[in-house]
Amino acid sequence: MKKPEPELTVTLPARTEFLKMAVELTRHIAALNQFDLKESQKIAVALDEAMTNVIKHSYHFRSEPLTIRFTCSADALKIEILFTGDPPHVEADHLDLGRLIREKRKGGLGVGLIRRIMDQVTYRTCDGVNHCEMVKWKIRSSISAGN
Amino acid sequence: MRNFLVRSKVENGVAVVYPKGHLDAHGVERFEKELVKLIDAGVVQLVVNGRDLSYISSAGMGVIMGYLDEIREKGGDIKLCAVNERVYEIFDLVGFTDIYSFLDTEELALQSFMG
Repeated sequence: MKKPEPELTVTLPARTEFLKMAVELTRHIAALNQFDLKESQKIAVALDEAMTNVIKHSYHFRSEPLTIRFTCSADALKIEILFTGDPPHVEADHLDLGRLIREKRKGGLGVGLIRRIMDQVTYRTCDGVNHCEMVKWKIRSSISAGN
Repeated sequence: MRNFLVRSKVENGVAVVYPKGHLDAHGVERFEKELVKLIDAGVVQLVVNGRDLSYISSAGMGVIMGYLDEIREKGGDIKLCAVNERVYEIFDLVGFTDIYSFLDTEELALQSFMG
């Protein structure tokens, strides 16, 4: 019988005070899963961006619960963020920094940054619960690190 | 204990901003206030010295991005220096390294403003 993949679930209030804690936890879990320091840092940034989007755009800074689920397998690290509130408004994939600067925007980088860091990013809503799922493949990561 | 602190100095019309620690959406208001204080005082030549910056997310980069056009329209610029490798990689991922000057030291950044 196939062994279940190790999983860690953390629920915390959706407040910016908890971003650093979540980032440090993510970095630690990524490092434990054989991602190097640079990749672990980037994966933690992706988590920060996704969590910040939930705090700002789904809960509008209301301190409601947000769950982060880490699933580790031989091939990948999967991070899911589960939350209620407004479904995520996913910005365009294409990160156009020049346009954002011309428009004097201070936001609009987050989703593009997540997509540049993670190999797979999906959003869905099921029974009133929103899911943001981000996957980082270990093989692709080691190939890109070698480039 | 605060995860993020910021201070600045102005010398010969050039402001140097020193962000320290972990800059995310929680500390970004403090960072923005410091920049706005300098811009409102008429400074258009800014250096962000990242020597003590251990982390940055798009919240912090967004502040640097949001004022660049205004500052360049006034004939100034925002430059970055002494950023550690891990933080530089995040700037690089969003394309900041194509648009902003990154210098190795504060001295080089200040010199670059002298023409």
